Amino acid sequence: MCGAGHRICALLIFFAVPLMVSVSHAAEQPNQHAESAVIERGKYLAIAADCGACHTTPGGKPYAGGLPISTPLGTIYSTNITPSADFGIGRYTEEEFSRALHRGIRRDGAHLYPAMPYTSYAKFTDDDAHALYVYFMRAVQPVEARAPATELPFPMNIRLSMLVWNFLFLDGHAFAPDPQQSAEWNRGAYLVQGATHCSTCHTPRGFLMQEEASRALSGAQVGPWYAPNITSDPVTGIGSWTRDELAAFLRSGRLPAKAQAAGSMGEAVEHSFQHLSAADIDAIATYVKSVPAIHNPAGESRFTAGKMFSELGVLRGRYGISSNNDANPTGAELFQGNCASCHSAEGQGSKDGYYPSLFHNSATGAKDPANLIAAILYGVDRTVSGKQAFMPGFGGYPTDSNQLSDSDIAALGTYVLTHYGPGDTAITEQQVSEIRRGGPSSLLLPLARGGLAAAAIVVVLGAAFLVFRRRKARA
Amino acid sequence: MASDDSADVVVVGTGVVGCLIAEQALDAGLSVLMLEAGPRVDRWRIVENYRNLPPSLRLFHWDAPYPPKPWAPHLETRKDKEAEQYLQLEGPNARAYLQGYVRYAGGATWHWAGICWRLTPEDMRLNSLYGVGRDWPFAHDVIEPYYTRAEYALGVCGPSDPASQWPPNAKRSQPYPMGPTPFGPGEHRLTEVAAKIGLMNIPAPQARNSGVSYHGRPPCCGNNNCFPVCPIAAKYDAATALPKIEAKGGKILVNAVVYRIETGNRKTVEAVHYFDPDKGSHKVTGKIFVIACNGIETPKLLLFSKDDRNPNGVANSSDQVGRNMMDQPKLIADVELTEPLWTGVGPVQSSSVMNTTQGEFRNSHAGALLRMENFARSPLGAAAALKKGLVGKALDKEIRRISACTARLTVEHEPLPSPDNRLTLSSKKDWLGINKPNIYYDVGDYVRRSAKEYTVPLLHKLADGLGATSFQLSPEFLNSDHIMGGCIMGTDPTTSVVDADCRAHDHHNLFLPGGGAMPSGTASNSTLTMAALALKAADAIVDQLRHG
Repeated sequence: MCGAGHRICALLIFFAVPLMVSVSHAAEQPNQHAESAVIERGKYLAIAADCGACHTTPGGKPYAGGLPISTPLGTIYSTNITPSADFGIGRYTEEEFSRALHRGIRRDGAHLYPAMPYTSYAKFTDDDAHALYVYFMRAVQPVEARAPATELPFPMNIRLSMLVWNFLFLDGHAFAPDPQQSAEWNRGAYLVQGATHCSTCHTPRGFLMQEEASRALSGAQVGPWYAPNITSDPVTGIGSWTRDELAAFLRSGRLPAKAQAAGSMGEAVEHSFQHLSAADIDAIATYVKSVPAIHNPAGESRFTAGKMFSELGVLRGRYGISSNNDANPTGAELFQGNCASCHSAEGQGSKDGYYPSLFHNSATGAKDPANLIAAILYGVDRTVSGKQAFMPGFGGYPTDSNQLSDSDIAALGTYVLTHYGPGDTAITEQQVSEIRRGGPSSLLLPLARGGLAAAAIVVVLGAAFLVFRRRKARA
Repeated sequence: MASDDSADVVVVGTGVVGCLIAEQALDAGLSVLMLEAGPRVDRWRIVENYRNLPPSLRLFHWDAPYPPKPWAPHLETRKDKEAEQYLQLEGPNARAYLQGYVRYAGGATWHWAGICWRLTPEDMRLNSLYGVGRDWPFAHDVIEPYYTRAEYALGVCGPSDPASQWPPNAKRSQPYPMGPTPFGPGEHRLTEVAAKIGLMNIPAPQARNSGVSYHGRPPCCGNNNCFPVCPIAAKYDAATALPKIEAKGGKILVNAVVYRIETGNRKTVEAVHYFDPDKGSHKVTGKIFVIACNGIETPKLLLFSKDDRNPNGVANSSDQVGRNMMDQPKLIADVELTEPLWTGVGPVQSSSVMNTTQGEFRNSHAGALLRMENFARSPLGAAAALKKGLVGKALDKEIRRISACTARLTVEHEPLPSPDNRLTLSSKKDWLGINKPNIYYDVGDYVRRSAKEYTVPLLHKLADGLGATSFQLSPEFLNSDHIMGGCIMGTDPTTSVVDADCRAHDHHNLFLPGGGAMPSGTASNSTLTMAALALKAADAIVDQLRHG
């Protein structure tokens, strides 16, 4: 009873604060202090929403766009969202801005592709949308440069198709707090479903690239990386993590003997989560821990697989010294030559944890080897609290110092999975090649094209049939 | 785009000098073809070669993980006899020119320590200031911007405190791209002891990532085998530049042994010819030719290319090609101590005493750099303890004692260019029928006087300060693997081979950059100066192709 009262009280505070801010806004008192507070809040929300992840290129000017985002349907370029009138969103009214944020509609009425997570941003309260608008218009430096245009292949280049998609899949309702839950839980739910858009990566997508709500946060492939199951399932999700462990992971990007953030999650920690308030991180962890468990089929825990192991005893002395690159090196040789100098000869990593152990590690313990392959190809580069965690890629980029072939990575990855991972999974060259190409491509494109072709054939056959009948009728 | 037989810029050699020039030329929109005599071998293969060596070859046989191809021989020391197979050495200090370099794609930076000293202004004016050696054709402030560019190209870590920077009397235009590598316990101790006798042990700037990644390469994690190979490419080596060159459109042909430089009318270089591993000959044409094979292979190739137009060899109207061969003659002192020193934490070299390289004394004897080797001594400890016949706990204890309580002190003397220290073509031939290099070497009285009056007494003082109970000095001068002088730079075409841009005086489109061009050897490691000269030459090459 007491607890429930406490909750309701907290809820009132949670919603009263934005209410008061909006009231003061409605009163339109030009108060510099109030405006700078709104700008600060907008900036914080832009960080929470990690707008820069897509709208800022590495080393580029903030929010100038132009980052190529490979999707299963083709490359989408992020847009310039600085307040430049000619190249950015400088001419957007607040209403137009809100429409783009909440419903994915540009100022000119064209539809955005859902690579822009407006299905999540729809949850933003009007007041938070206002703060974002004020921040982007007043505090972001305009960049007078056009970002490259997105040109998806036919028929995906018909943006009007998004009208149907939105009708089917866009839940335009604002966030509705659950009065049965604590204020902290509600704050977490608001952030996770909205700003931090966790489902964008962690929820599997259906045939039409829509998030499948029934399998929310149960894991999905995103480009070359796999965003794992983060539901509370104790085996295939993160149910075995405590709330504090999850919060620590979000702040630092790593949880010793369990997992480390790489790929998009590494960026999310670096650019977004590490900068959020302790209260918000705790709220996010509280909410995520409560997400209904979804058990992945044929799944075992990805955090407990493998053990210390080395083949040094049989390796040394057997192979001599050569001035030739081996055509078919063994996984053990590749491991010792490429990995052991940092991760140790037996895979246990370094004592200080800078180099993670390769066993009891989600990157090697998962049945799906995508993240292991992606880590070998593209490495890890994550800076948190001024400290960098870095692993070089081994050939994902043509400039990488050390280039491993698809067959090398298949042999190396299989060795790692066999000894430090689930033990019974082999990696094929084709799997490596697919990740190197940027991850699996969608069937939607060929099917859509095929569908259109089939429709055309039906029309042609139908027309031929009619002509044939008429001729027959004349005869 | 370069083809297999022509490019705007043809670069012979894929070491640090060739790679820096290739990248600069590609950035300027020129086509580049690189020719490498040796094979291109994966880093992990070399790392495994090293680890597959027997313990007796793990230290001091830095060539051992790089078995040469028959068509691209280099020094091998695995067996005593092998040392004499390729380099033909003679003279009073033949042993001091037993140069280890690697004829693999990536060159000798595969097994360098990564040390990146700049020269001092005085180092470039030996003749004016001390009446010995030669002056450079330009002043220190001309090379300074190139040093900075080289430090950023290689990724050099070094101290930000000006009091710890070298040289102490010349301004830097930019800070080091990364902070210094922290000292291990042995280096801390040495620094304290050295300070008591007026020697300043300062952090060595090194092309090694300290604490952060640089150009996609990871930070150093202290494997402590910088030589013979950095297993993770935290140390710059030119092999890491090769994929970047290819990504920019450069072409790299390996196992292509250039054996002849062909000149045409008006002494323009028209082509180079190379052998493939089947001894088939091929011709490559271009607009500019860069011979970046460092101080032995470059003069060897110039001499071997002699023809009717160039009776002394290409670029050799001065008769200076192959003369003035330099390296820092090295002495080492192995000491045993009562207290543990624990070398081996961090890179194999990380600091040096530099103030002993400079002084008015240079009018009578050589300056010298003093340092302590920072490699882990456990392999030596294990071998020595086993040799004593120890077993069980006594064996463990002795391995531990030798690993902790022994050290190697090193002194490297500055050489002077002498025309008598000369590389010529030996009558002995290699697998392809190319004459082997023959080198006469005498360290000279300038160095001998320094050792006797200056450096060996200093070594004794240092050893005493460390509490040494035994002191064993190497019986003769050794090589430092810093090959300099064979294509010496100067303004006078009758006494030098190349001009201030490393362009051959005799051939306007032939560049001979690298250690061979250096007019003074000094006590400092040569690579950063070679890299700076490479960038200076690259600017000249780009300018020459743009403006004729």
